[in-house]
Order: sequence, then C-alpha cells, then structure tokens
Amino acid sequence: MFGKIVFATSGAPDCDSAARVAFDMAGRYGSEIVVFHCLGIPGKGDSNLVLDVRTGEEVDPDEEYLEGVREELRTTYAIQLSACKNARIEIAVGNPSREVLRAARKEDADLIVMGARRAGVEVGGFYRRGVIGGTHRKVAKAARCPVLTVSRPAASFWGGFSNIVFATDFSKASQSAFKLAQSITRDVDGELHLFHCLDLDRLQSPIALTQEGIEGRLAEARRKIQVEYAAKLGDLAKRASIEVWEGSPYVEIVKFARERQADLIVMAHHTRNVDPDEGPDERPFGSTLEQVLVRATCPVVSVNRPDKLPEASEA
Amino acid sequence: MPEGIYCNKQPITTDEALKALLSDTRGKKYYEEMESLEVDREKLWSSIQKTMKSRMKTWLSVCARCGLCADSCFLYLVNDRNPEQVPSYKIHSTLGEIIKRKGDVDNAFMRHAMEVAWSQCTCCNRCAMYCPHGIDIGIMMGYLRGLLYSQGFVPWELKIGAGMHRVYRAQMDVTTEDWTETCDWMAEEQQDDWPGLEIPIDKEDADIMYTCNAREPKHYPEDLAEAAILFHIAGENWTVPSEGWEQTSLAMFAGDWEACKLQVQNVYAAIERLRPKRVIGTECGHAHRATVVEGPYWAGRPDGQPPRPYIHYVQWVAEALRTGKLKIDPTKRIKVPVTYQDSCNYVRNWGLAETAREILSYIVEPGYLREMTPNKEHNYCCGGGGGFNGIGKFRPQRNKALLTKRDQILATGAKLVISPCHNCWDAIRDLEEEYRIGIDWSFLKPLLIKMVVVPEHLKPKDDDGDA
Amino acid sequence: MFAFLTGPMLWLSFAIFVIGCAWRVVKYVRGLDWQLDRVPYGYYRELAVKGALKSIFHWLTPYGSRSWRLKPLYTAAFFLLHVGLVIVPLFLFAHVMLVSERFGLSWPTLPAGLADALTVLAMAAGVFILLRRFALPEVRIITTAHDLWVMAISLAPLLTGFVAAHQSGDHSGWLLAHIVTGEIWLIAIPFTKLSHVVLFFCSRAQIGVDFGVKRGGQRGRGIVW
Repeated sequence: MFGKIVFATSGAPDCDSAARVAFDMAGRYGSEIVVFHCLGIPGKGDSNLVLDVRTGEEVDPDEEYLEGVREELRTTYAIQLSACKNARIEIAVGNPSREVLRAARKEDADLIVMGARRAGVEVGGFYRRGVIGGTHRKVAKAARCPVLTVSRPAASFWGGFSNIVFATDFSKASQSAFKLAQSITRDVDGELHLFHCLDLDRLQSPIALTQEGIEGRLAEARRKIQVEYAAKLGDLAKRASIEVWEGSPYVEIVKFARERQADLIVMAHHTRNVDPDEGPDERPFGSTLEQVLVRATCPVVSVNRPDKLPEASEA
Repeated sequence: MPEGIYCNKQPITTDEALKALLSDTRGKKYYEEMESLEVDREKLWSSIQKTMKSRMKTWLSVCARCGLCADSCFLYLVNDRNPEQVPSYKIHSTLGEIIKRKGDVDNAFMRHAMEVAWSQCTCCNRCAMYCPHGIDIGIMMGYLRGLLYSQGFVPWELKIGAGMHRVYRAQMDVTTEDWTETCDWMAEEQQDDWPGLEIPIDKEDADIMYTCNAREPKHYPEDLAEAAILFHIAGENWTVPSEGWEQTSLAMFAGDWEACKLQVQNVYAAIERLRPKRVIGTECGHAHRATVVEGPYWAGRPDGQPPRPYIHYVQWVAEALRTGKLKIDPTKRIKVPVTYQDSCNYVRNWGLAETAREILSYIVEPGYLREMTPNKEHNYCCGGGGGFNGIGKFRPQRNKALLTKRDQILATGAKLVISPCHNCWDAIRDLEEEYRIGIDWSFLKPLLIKMVVVPEHLKPKDDDGDA
Repeated sequence: MFAFLTGPMLWLSFAIFVIGCAWRVVKYVRGLDWQLDRVPYGYYRELAVKGALKSIFHWLTPYGSRSWRLKPLYTAAFFLLHVGLVIVPLFLFAHVMLVSERFGLSWPTLPAGLADALTVLAMAAGVFILLRRFALPEVRIITTAHDLWVMAISLAPLLTGFVAAHQSGDHSGWLLAHIVTGEIWLIAIPFTKLSHVVLFFCSRAQIGVDFGVKRGGQRGRGIVW
C-alpha cells in the first residue's frame, strides 16, 4: 500500500507512538522505511556550526558527530529496526520542515509519518517563526504524499484500523483525502464514516440564522456528501455512513471520531489563506487539521494532493 | 614544518581536499599547523612589488596620522575606544609593517596580521568617507587579506569557502543538479497557491536573469520560491541559469582573487549565454559587491560593468512599486515601529540609500519608520560583514561587534528590522540570539508577499473549501 | 652666505620643490591601475571629473565635509595651520616686495596686522595639533617621529619669519634662519609626507572618481559628505 515510508523523528520519546505506527505499517506492508532525522539548524552566518534541534546547543556536524547521532537513533529504534528488513537511517542538517520535505521528495516517499508534538525543544526564541513548532504545519501543507501524524500513544496500530473517519470541507484537496480514505478502508476492510461539520463560526450572521436555516444547510451538506463521495464508493457504500453536524469543525470532528470510536481520521488541509491579516508564514494551513491533530486520540492522516495516493501508486 | 596537511599555501581545488579540511572540526589542527607555517618572504615581497601600485603606496605614505578615522570605525567605538582599533593603526601595524620590512616578517607576525585583517575590519569602507586624504583602509585590508591568503594565513572557514567556489562555483556544495532540482521543487510546491508559476531555467533572451546566494537553495529554498512568486505577480519574463546562478563570493572575503575571478566569470558566462536584458541579484550585499561592483575588474572588463545591466534586488523592488507592477495593499502596510539596515556593500558602496527609502515609502505606514543614527551611506556595518559572521575563531570579537547594531536598533525603538542583505540578516539574527532584545527581522520578499495585491487572474480558482 | 642662500640656493630649493612635486604627480598617475584599483579610469569622464572636483572642493572648504563637521576644533586648527602655511606666505607684503623688486611682478598683499594674526594662529594651531597628538590615545598610537619632524619643518619658517619681522635692530640672524628653514621646508616637500601638497589632490581626486563613478555616483546622490 505504501511502498516507501519516511518516518520523520526527533528521536525523542514524543515520537514513540509515531514510531510504533510507522514500523508496524512497514512490517505489515513490507514497505521500505527511512528513519529521517534533522539534527540541527544551520546557524551563525556562513560558519559550519549548527544548533542541535534537541539541545539548542552549537555543535559541529562533523563525521564523528553525525555518526554519534546515527548510533543514537539505531539504539532508540533497535528493536524496530531489527524487525524491519528494509530500513535505513538518514540524517540531515537544515530547517526541519524543509529537510523532511526534501527527503520525502528525494526518496519519492509514499507516506510521511510524524509525531505531532513539537519535534524537539524550541531552539531559541529567535526561531519562533515556526521553524520548529511549524514543522508539521509546513510539511503537511507542502508534502505531495499523505502525512500520517500520531500525537498520542495510539491504542491502535495499522491493521487494527477499522473505523475510519473522513472529514471533508468539500474542497478540492478533500477529494484527494477522500480517495485516500476510500483505499485505506478497502484495504483494512473497515468502516468509513463520511463527516462534515457546518462551520457556524463562519456563517455570516449566526444570530439571524434560524434553526430552519441551519437544518436546511445540514440537509444540503448531507446531499452533497451523498453526491460527491458516497455515490463513488461502490461496494464500500454498505460499510459507510454519512453524518453532518454543526459547530466548530475541529471540535466536532474530534467528538465525532470519539463517538464512532474511530482509529483513524482522514482529512485534507486547507490551502487557502482564510485570514487576510495573516501572511504566508502564519497562514493557518489547515488550522482545523492542526487542532484536530492535537486533540485526536487516534492517528490522523492528511493529504491534499492527488499525486501520491496509494491508489495511484498501485495503478 | 614549512607547510601543514590542513594549513598550507595551496588553495583547495578538489572535493576530496574540501572534505578533508572540513573533517578538521573547527579547524583545530589547521590552526595548530598554522603556528609553524613558514612565510615565503621572497614571494611575499615580489607579489607586493607587482601588485602594490601608486594609490596604495600613496595612502600609506601620506597618512597624516590625524586619527580622524578612529571615530568612523564602529569596531574602534565598540571596543571601548581601544587605540589598537584605530583604522590607521590597524593597517600600518600590519600591511605597513610588511612593506617597511620588505616582506621580512615571521609566522607570529602573519598570524597577528590575520587576526587584524579578519577580526578588526569588516571592509565596510566607512573610514574612507572620514579621511581628509580619502584613504580607504577597507580596500587596503582587502589587499592585505589577499597577501595573507596567498601565504596560507586565512581563517579556516574562509579557506573552505574559497575552496567551495573553486570546486562548486558556489559558496556551498550545491551542484547544478541540486540547484535545478530545487528550482523544480519550489515551482511545484507553489503550484496550488500560484497556478501557472514557473521557475524557468536557462530561458534565452528573457527580460531578467535572476541570481542568488547558495545558502538559499541549500537551506532556505523558500527564498527562491518567494522571488518566483514576486516575479510571477509582477508579470516578469524571467529565468535562472542552470550554471552561474551563484552570486556570492566567500573568495572575496578570503582574499582568494583567483577564485573570485573564476566565480564571477561563471556568472558572466551565463549572462552571455542567455542574453537577458538585465540581471537581478538577490537580497545580498556582498554578493552584489562581488559580482556587480568588483567583479568586472576581476574579469578584466575595463568599463567596470558586467556584460549586461546588473541590479540589486532593492532596485527591482523599487522599480516594480514605482511602475505599479507590484501594488501594495495600503491596509497591509507595516504598522509596527520599523527600521532599515543599510548594507555597506550596496548602500555606501553602490549608492542605493534613496532607492531603499523609496521602497519603505510604499510598504511602511507613514509614521512607523524609525531611522537608525547614523544611517544611509554613513550607517555602521551590521557587525558581521566581510566574513566576520562565519569565522568561529573570531566569534567573541564578532559578538562584541554586534553591540553597535544592537544599540543602534534599540535607540530607534523599532520592533522590526528590514534587512535586504544575507550578512546583515544573519548578524541581526545572531544579535537577537546573543542579546535578546525582542526584535524581528526580515528580508523584503516575505514582507512584500504579505502585502502585495494579487491580480484576480493569478489567484487560484476557488475550490469549494469553506474553511 | 646671505647671497648664496637668497640666490642659487633659493633657486635650487624652488627647483627641487617644483620638479619633485611634478615627479610625484606623474608617478602617481602613471602608477594607477584600473584593474588593481578597481576603478574604470578613462570611462565616464564626466562623472569622474565631477566626482573628483566634488571631493576636493568639499574637503578644501572649511566644514565642507561631514568629517570636518564632526571635529570642529580640529578642523579649525587644520584650516588655520594651512592658511598660515600656504596663503599667508603668498600674500605677505615682504614676500611680494621681493618678487616685485626682482621680477617686477606684484599682486595684492595682506594687511600686516591680519598677516601677523594669521601667522600666530597658524603656529598656535600647529602647537594644538602637536599637543593633540600626545593627548589623545587614538592619535598617539599612530604618531611617528616623521610626523613630528614634518610639523617642526613646517612651523620653523613661520616662527622665524614672525620673529624676524618683529625684531627691532639687527635681525639678520633671524632672517637668515627664516630663509634656511623656508628652503628646508621647500626641499622637504617632495620627499616627506609634505608631498601631500600635491598628493592630497591626487588621492582625493582618485577616491572622488572611485565613489563618483563606481561606488554610487551613477545612482542616488553619489558621494555624500
């Protein structure tokens, strides 16, 4: 299903859940897995020094140091690596989000797996413009392949997935996410819950909006799900359900996932600048997605491009 | 030991040699070996006789020792007015002494001269404007660096940097494939947000050829994407060369004139190959100085001009704003106290002070600009120029030097420093890291992208996303 | 003795001064190298001339450059010293009389009182500059014996001339000293830092061209002071 997985890790314990899922998947599908670690941010003008992403200290990324980091990763993931035939470790220096993307592109990865918490400590306040904290955001926004994020010790592992929630906002990107959800559901023989949340905050005058109006919109959204997604499910349709709620999307998505005991949420993230005051750096790329990531009790996989969907790779 | 394995008089010309030198962490062995590196006195003196012409001889001989240069030098001021930091003293106690002794100087002297040349002068050329005789110590320091380099007395990082230019024609190990791949990657990444955006490689007869800093493809490819976005919005017919895209020159900082020539010839060859109407460089000061201001002379062009008109990024931005190719949304102008960092290399040494102010008049809400004192052509170096930023050995001196800019910025009360120069940008980032004064700093490109009006036809077709 | 010093020796001194200075200028100009200096001499004539003249003009004008304005006291001393050394001798009544007697040429002269005042001020300025050399650490560190000698050579004719002009009775001793020191001064010019009599113009013009043509003269405001 996923021929090559890039597992981006800080090597810290908060990536352990992600590690479990990544290696489980690799084992199950015989995927090639690249354990990727960006160890430091280039610093200090044209010098060779880098700031270690974990300690924030200045280090010299010479061969000895790089080997030390590799060794550390080998030790951290010793058990998993020994169980995986096709695994290797890659390390790089640079801005983490950029380097993860570069690695994914270079490796032609089919899936990126990341931990959702900050990948390492915040290195110096001067990198506050999201170099670290925004790593996930930037990767999720620009990656061409699906990005699977595991923020909590996930109870499930790949293959144990049976309840998949697909949350849509009807964007173009959501179509790619839908295709991904569809093929995963098919693959794990699970159930698919098609979900949309009517964003009340974004309705122009919520007070003026009557209950009838809301219900009308809910019905309309249901219809839309039916037409755009459910109709394309084929034999999967009998294992699918449709649900539309109203509220704040990220809250409702998380609530819905909990109610359905979902073990995977599939969604796109929005590529448009929704807040005109925010520049490209601060664009809340899939801010709904981010909120879901932090709150969800199950892994979340996101994609917003059709290029590297599992279907496409099989075809 | 006349020459060391790491520290010697030979320039780096192969990838293996580069890797070998890089493997010597922080140049530990390199500097150890330097202590016993022999000075080739004859060669030193003969090269002085060949290259030291009347201008410099006169500068050295007529210096009236009036000391007016002292206060012009930010390093003198920031180092508690240490007399040894007086520009005149710095050059006479080094270059002047070598000449007085006809090249008969020893190893310890050369190592001292190296320290002066790279940690006590950033070649900002400010002193030249304060000397009654018009003596430019910065130029002489550059010359001294050349002599020191030829004898192997050069900071480790800069020996590597110059070697990078010789091997890769770039200041970092970015190959042609790496570069073109990065261009493709960035174009691809922007396609959703900017339909139709391209980064055309090797397009002939374009209006603009764009050159940049190897640091950008290597670590900050977003910068390239941002350049592409702005050209896209402005509707420019532009291109990047597959070869000859690197505009910077650590070789210039190192005093490796031969590598400087190789580097700039590479860019000029691209210009001649692609025949653009003009060339635009990225937001970098020393790159501009190397390729546009000094480069023509290295390449032997007597009119002092590159093969085609070659302008700095701020010139293009000013022009694009003036002609309306880029329009700023007035509601998005900068509304925090903001100041502008004048880069020595294209402001004092290329006259773009007013051009930069023109840009500010478009992007800063009136009343929010806080000029530094002094500013424009008289502004102080960021503290990291001339290679100072990159030299680990002289980091303490560099950090001290940053205090000048820190205090200048603090005095303005600005919260944002606009700094269209890689070196200044780095220095300001480092000073924030070092001294934490709570400022932000930025190139022009990200600021412009935030506030530029995007023409309807360039906006992505709406998909139905409602969040 | 007196005849020799005011005759052949004076001629010789002037010859050395003029030829020496001319030689220094020629050597300077011939030693310029567009590639090594990184200045396109010979191109952009108009900008070059403009840059050179602008540069010289601003620095010959009291407080005409930013540097002069930042150091008002030193600038005052500098200009007083140079006025006393260059302008006063040229327009001194006694000097003009000499020329007039020998060659029949004459030109307006300075009133005696003003000449005296300027001479005294020049000497005071010279002394001030000397004291400043020792008082300020940033000047002391770059001071050499050469600088002191040059100042001594320059001030000597002023002092001797002033005394000679104001002594009552037999003043041939002071006059002789004045002539000798004046000749030493003239001869020293091409061979010492005093060569800046001409090289100042060369050097200033050169940097004026550098800034005016290459470093910004083609854009913006050009060189600024």
